[in-house]
Amino acid sequence: MSETQTLWWASESFWKKMAVWITAGSAVVLIFLTFDTVNQITAGGKRVPPYSVINNRIDYVFDEKRNYQVPVIGPEEPLFGKVLNEAEAMALVSRGKLTTQAKNCMNCHTLLGNGAYYAPDLTKSWLDPMWGSKETREETMVAFLMDPTDKLHNTIGRRMPNLGITEEEARATVAFLKWMSAIDTNGFPGNFPTIDQSDPAPAPESVSAPTETPAL
Amino acid sequence: MAALGTLDSANLNGGQKLAVKFFTVAIALFGAQVLFGMLAGIQYLNPDFLFGVLDFSVNRMLHINAMVVWLLFGFIGAVYWLLEDESGTPVAGLGLGNLMFWVFTLAVVVVVLVYLLVQVGPGELKSIWLINEGREYIEAPRWADIGIVVCVLIFFYNVAATFMKGRFTGIGGVLVLDLVALAGLYLAGMWYTPNISMDQHWWWWVIHLWVEATWEVLVGCLLAYGLVKTMGVRRRIVETWLYIEVALLFGSGILGLGHHYFWIGTPEYWLAIGGFFSALEPIPLVAMVVHAVFDAGHHKLKSSNNPALAWMIAQAFGNFFGAGVWGFMHTLPQINLYTHGTQWTASHGHLAFFGAYATIVIAFVYLAVQKWRGNVWMSGDMAGGWKWKWAIFLLHAGMIGMTMALLVTGYEQSQVERAIGGSSWIAYFEAQAHVWFVQGMNWRMVSGWMFATGFVLLAWDLMTIGKRETRPARSVEVPAAAMA
Amino acid sequence: MIEPVELANFFTVFFSAASVILFGAGYALLFAWSRVSGRPRLMPLAYATYLGLAVSVLVLGNAANLFNNGYWTFIVGLMLVGYLVAPHAVWHLCVGTHAEGDEAIKVSQQR
Ligand code: HEC
Ligand code: HEM
Ligand code: HEM
Ligand SMILES: [Fe+2]
Repeated sequence: MSETQTLWWASESFWKKMAVWITAGSAVVLIFLTFDTVNQITAGGKRVPPYSVINNRIDYVFDEKRNYQVPVIGPEEPLFGKVLNEAEAMALVSRGKLTTQAKNCMNCHTLLGNGAYYAPDLTKSWLDPMWGSKETREETMVAFLMDPTDKLHNTIGRRMPNLGITEEEARATVAFLKWMSAIDTNGFPGNFPTIDQSDPAPAPESVSAPTETPAL
Repeated sequence: MAALGTLDSANLNGGQKLAVKFFTVAIALFGAQVLFGMLAGIQYLNPDFLFGVLDFSVNRMLHINAMVVWLLFGFIGAVYWLLEDESGTPVAGLGLGNLMFWVFTLAVVVVVLVYLLVQVGPGELKSIWLINEGREYIEAPRWADIGIVVCVLIFFYNVAATFMKGRFTGIGGVLVLDLVALAGLYLAGMWYTPNISMDQHWWWWVIHLWVEATWEVLVGCLLAYGLVKTMGVRRRIVETWLYIEVALLFGSGILGLGHHYFWIGTPEYWLAIGGFFSALEPIPLVAMVVHAVFDAGHHKLKSSNNPALAWMIAQAFGNFFGAGVWGFMHTLPQINLYTHGTQWTASHGHLAFFGAYATIVIAFVYLAVQKWRGNVWMSGDMAGGWKWKWAIFLLHAGMIGMTMALLVTGYEQSQVERAIGGSSWIAYFEAQAHVWFVQGMNWRMVSGWMFATGFVLLAWDLMTIGKRETRPARSVEVPAAAMA
Repeated sequence: MIEPVELANFFTVFFSAASVILFGAGYALLFAWSRVSGRPRLMPLAYATYLGLAVSVLVLGNAANLFNNGYWTFIVGLMLVGYLVAPHAVWHLCVGTHAEGDEAIKVSQQR
């Protein structure tokens, strides 16, 4: 039978072109969006804080307008009592990030909700009430990371193993966790109960929020 | 030529000789995947099991890496399998391809040994270069990444050069372009950044755009070849449908990436994009359903290889349920806020990977074994035909059991830990200690044992099927028009 | 932008979302089968299945709070219309792509 009988919208050549154009079109839209997204998620961009945010108190507070919790940057509260400039802070956080990769944390934990499901999500670990008081939190975290095997916090006997984390690595990891808790995650995790970080004296106003107004 | 029913590489063309090497390693790694999955599963119920020796993280990493590599080996093997037949000419640069196989396999062995024996390194870049990258699915250290890229380039050269030398069919064209995309995407996951949002943003390019775009199209090419060669469907129709599938899969899958950009720091507009494309994702599935019924109504299903056909049918269902139904159930951000990163995700991940990809690789291995034994009879009443039937039954019963068990645990976890407890440390363990969760994990293990038994049977069957068979394969006529 | 699902609605959301896809496949299957085997009596059944699909979409929309926002309501509308016409469109494609040289199909196509 003759080729001409084939309807144009059912022909091979039409769909070949469609496949190419739809793929190319989607890819172009994705690339366009990627430029904007990458811009917004660069550290210090709209959604992801600069590394030096670890010099401040970080909280996770319900926002009426956006209808979920958002990170709020509070007054200066330097990690381990030492104010760092952006470069120093970045080096420290980076060391922590490298530690999480080299020790394979993501094959037990989720970070930003991605990873494994054998241990708690670490997105807001910095703000977890289990660390006790905000005064002792940093040292408690370091001690836990360096040797978690004798510090069981649950009834089912699931412990975190000793991963050979040095003190320096542990401090860097805490810096990484603190920094991560300040990322604007559109309210994930929802309804997270935060550790009490209020001062004995009346708490000062928050100075800024690294959040955008709703995009849509 | 050797007698029917004996394994003899004289029965295979050059590309196919290489293909069966890849298939052999693939099935071995499938076994490793099952083994380490079982160890990790046991640790959920008995946390002291191998604690400090082979921790959960190590077992899980081996489990999912074995999966990625065995599926890739299976795909590479399947492409070498059809290459000469499809292009009508011997593989260009086959020697290089063979060398690549040995290098790739050796690299996999070294990586696995390092995972097992070294496990973790200091928090420095050199650990990422030498030990592991600590990023789910693509943990392989950087040196291995580079090795993989080189291997894939050689593979790509084999494929592209062979088609160029011979007949560049429509299937060949889609395949070559898809491989470019598949390899190119891997590069997106190959660099270090301290910024976890940026890291995960690019990481999803590899993972999502692999499994929901490029891998799907690769499988589309394999199935298209299968339809032409084993069922005699006309090539022009099959190729038109391949283009339709590419349009629909890429059209919904590329921006479907949005369903992973809800909560990792990426902007709010991804909630809208992810929601929109989630609604589109069922469309390619509907297209495949309608088309399959249409075809079944017009081509008599006559199969020369029953196990392969059964696994291809399993692929259609597996893809539909694992990706379509299980994906859609948790993909709207309104619910994903609470299911994100729970056993829910694991339930979907298992059914989708097994249903969409493990099945098709197994189907091709059955095709390969048949020809390897001199194209023996593999239709009804085979000697020892119970084995493949029990294997397919046990593997599916095990997988469905695991998926259902994880669904129950995920449902409980999304409520107790995520929605009520707000995902805090204490809430996490409240959910893990919940009776539904513990029961679910028990049932997962029961199903896991079933799956493992099915695997043993499958491996045994692949080694023996057709062994004493003396009848030649049932012939399925391929009309001359289909060859044009 | 979004209003997360209420705890009480979790099950409804999972169930109705799964139903959307399953009814969608059922509708597509019955639709194609009715046409391919020339059994017009199956067609009402296909549309009854679509009705199930539509109800599932609406239940899902309600449980997932999609109606509280114009954009998500639009998505619900899109699903209702899109899933209704998709099997028709795909059917025409099947007929169109197989048209050449296949008399049997032409017959059922013209019915
Ligand atoms: C083998 C699995 C495993 C690995 C690998 C692992 N963890 Fe853990 N982690 C656990 C378990 C289990 C707990 C819960 C311990 C408990 O409740 O006592 C835990 C608890 C934690 C906590 C406290 C939980 C919370 O909600 O705040 C933090 C912080 C933590 N881990 C950080 C890390 C970091 C950082 C790494 C990588 C350097 C890591 N973990 C690697 C299993 C693991
Ligand atoms: C005996 C059979 C199996 C058992 C016991 C098993 C067990 C497990 C366990 C315990 C995990 C870790 C989940 C977590 O982080 O909590 C896991 C993850 C995973 N497994 Fe399996 N598995 C099995 C078979 C398979 C098969 C056959 C496939 C696919 C072909 C598969 C694919 C996956 C994937 C993709 C993940 C990662 C899931 C995610 O991150 O969401 N598994 N498996
Ligand atoms: C064959 C195709 C598919 C495969 C192999 C697959 C596999 C996976 C895997 C393994 C994960 C877990 C990733 C991780 O470890 O974090 C995942 C997550 C996800 N998948 Fe799929 N998937 C497929 C198709 C789909 C489809 C069609 C949809 C939507 C309709 C979908 C929706 C999702 C969503 C929303 C998540 C994120 C889950 C979370 O938030 O934790 N997937 N997929
Ligand atoms: Fe995805």
